[in-house]
Amino acid sequence: MISLAGITGSRPALIAVMVMMVALLGIPAVHNGYVEIVFRNILMYAALAYGWNLLGGYAGYVSFGQVAFFGIGTYCSALLNTHGITNIGAGIALAIVVNALVAIVLGIPILRLRGHYFGIATLGLSLAIQDLVANIDALGGTGGLALKQVDDAHFFVYYYAMWAVAAACLLGTWLVARSKLGYAFVAIRENEDAAVVLGVSPTRYKVIAWAIAGAMAGAAGAVYAPANGFIDPAGAFEVDNNVFPIVMSLLGGIGTVAGPFVGALLLAGVNEVLQRFFVKIHTLFFGAMIVLVVMFLPRGIVALIGMRGGWRGFRRSLGAYRV
Amino acid sequence: MEFAQDVINGILAGGILAVAALGFSLVWGIMNIINLAHGAFIMLGAYCAYELFTRFHIDPFISVPIAFVFLFALGYLIQRFVINYVVRAPVLTTFLLTFGLSLLIVNVALLIWTGDTRGVSPSYVGANFSIGPLTVSWAKLWTLIVALAITGIMALWLGRSRMGRAIRATAIDVGAAQLAGVRVAHVYAVTFGLGTGLAGAAGALLSLSYGINPTMGDPFLIKSFVVCVLGGLGSVQGALIGGLAYGIVEGIAPLIDFTVFGQHFSGSGLQNVIALVVLLVVLIVRPTGIMGRATA
Repeated sequence: MISLAGITGSRPALIAVMVMMVALLGIPAVHNGYVEIVFRNILMYAALAYGWNLLGGYAGYVSFGQVAFFGIGTYCSALLNTHGITNIGAGIALAIVVNALVAIVLGIPILRLRGHYFGIATLGLSLAIQDLVANIDALGGTGGLALKQVDDAHFFVYYYAMWAVAAACLLGTWLVARSKLGYAFVAIRENEDAAVVLGVSPTRYKVIAWAIAGAMAGAAGAVYAPANGFIDPAGAFEVDNNVFPIVMSLLGGIGTVAGPFVGALLLAGVNEVLQRFFVKIHTLFFGAMIVLVVMFLPRGIVALIGMRGGWRGFRRSLGAYRV
Repeated sequence: MEFAQDVINGILAGGILAVAALGFSLVWGIMNIINLAHGAFIMLGAYCAYELFTRFHIDPFISVPIAFVFLFALGYLIQRFVINYVVRAPVLTTFLLTFGLSLLIVNVALLIWTGDTRGVSPSYVGANFSIGPLTVSWAKLWTLIVALAITGIMALWLGRSRMGRAIRATAIDVGAAQLAGVRVAHVYAVTFGLGTGLAGAAGALLSLSYGINPTMGDPFLIKSFVVCVLGGLGSVQGALIGGLAYGIVEGIAPLIDFTVFGQHFSGSGLQNVIALVVLLVVLIVRPTGIMGRATA
């Protein structure tokens, strides 16, 4: 259980994250090339994690289908791009609109499901949409689409576009968490039936949460597509993009505003190192990380800051769910 | 006639689905754990059959019990030393935990066996017989018979044995079972072991008809879930009926063939779409499944 007064999470962590976000504006000035791409990926994962966190962390609906919206976003901006509209903002706008619509239409049957049923349905959804896209010739089928990119001297626009998306997700989550909307989400998470009794319409708020989550993932996808220059179903619906946001939110702390960013920064950084030195085991590492975090830090790193009782308090928190 | 042939192929494939889904259903029904590593355990079962066949020339049908025992032991240990520590936490916790386990197991398999697709091909694999215009593969018929035998044994064991009764008692009321002397930690571990053991058996049976690679289990995870929902959660009959019914749906799926806005679609490329649609339709129209209870 949580105290409703603190649904944005720890304040120092939040301020630190906002300061870091502003500092990241300087990256292209310091280094263009490899470092810029690494940080662009971190920002992309942060945006994906914010989307997942809003639905999974705040509303308590654990989705394994976040990548479906990312994929739809990449294809929205790719379609515009291959038809001559290379403006990134237009791609983002289209991705947000399409994803919000998809979330509303699909949310009406899928959000009737709870718990495990919802989780598996979303996993099925991401696989189903990938199947569909791979079968549509206008989207390039399994062969994919090549996009027109800006010239090398202006490559930093993709970085700033991704920064803007991630910053909007951070700000959006903060605003939602402070508003009536955030309290409605938490009410649904803590006890959906009780929320109904208190006058919260779960369907309406769940659809809103999913639409915002989808828009966040879609916006990130819309920037990723031209930045990458090429997309195909396997890349757009990449399993990593489904897994990472969940692990990042978990590690940073689910249901907090700072958590997803902290998680994205830590894990994407570690992943970058692992991929350079141990290409084959980086996903294995993520699996182990999930297992360890779930067992030892079920409330994430950010929660560790507020933990009382030092080492003993930590030890005591471990046995709580054992048989 | 093509339709009848597709239905028969569907029923033959449905037996394996029933065995895979039974393991999934037990773990879900008894401990309220959705085991997202179920597909990974199916994959390990298939590699058991593969290794035994290529190294020792052991027939995959003989490997079925061996894979069951090996994966039972693995599942028992995982539940006893990992999942039991958080089994009483909110559902999200075990959900994510098994998700992590799945990644771990699949990637260890990738390190050991690489991503290449392998196969097991005993001499009889292509043999078949005809009933009128219909063709039936011997290997697939025996697969179905073995699958039916496994579900029969499980039904008897759960219903009659001391351990089976303890498992069912724990599912109904953990506290009361504990008071009656049931060791819950052990019962949970046995239940999870059965789930993984059945996954292993299903994997060994699959080795005869599917390519074996580390990610082969993923579609079977979704299918196990759909079969559970379709048949109704927590019963052996439910898993069996659901498995056969879903087998038929998949069998006739390639007959789906349509064109929208000049874009042609065929059922064979849309397996996951079909699974999702069946899942949603069943959950909305008949949330308790064909055979009985389910909690949504």
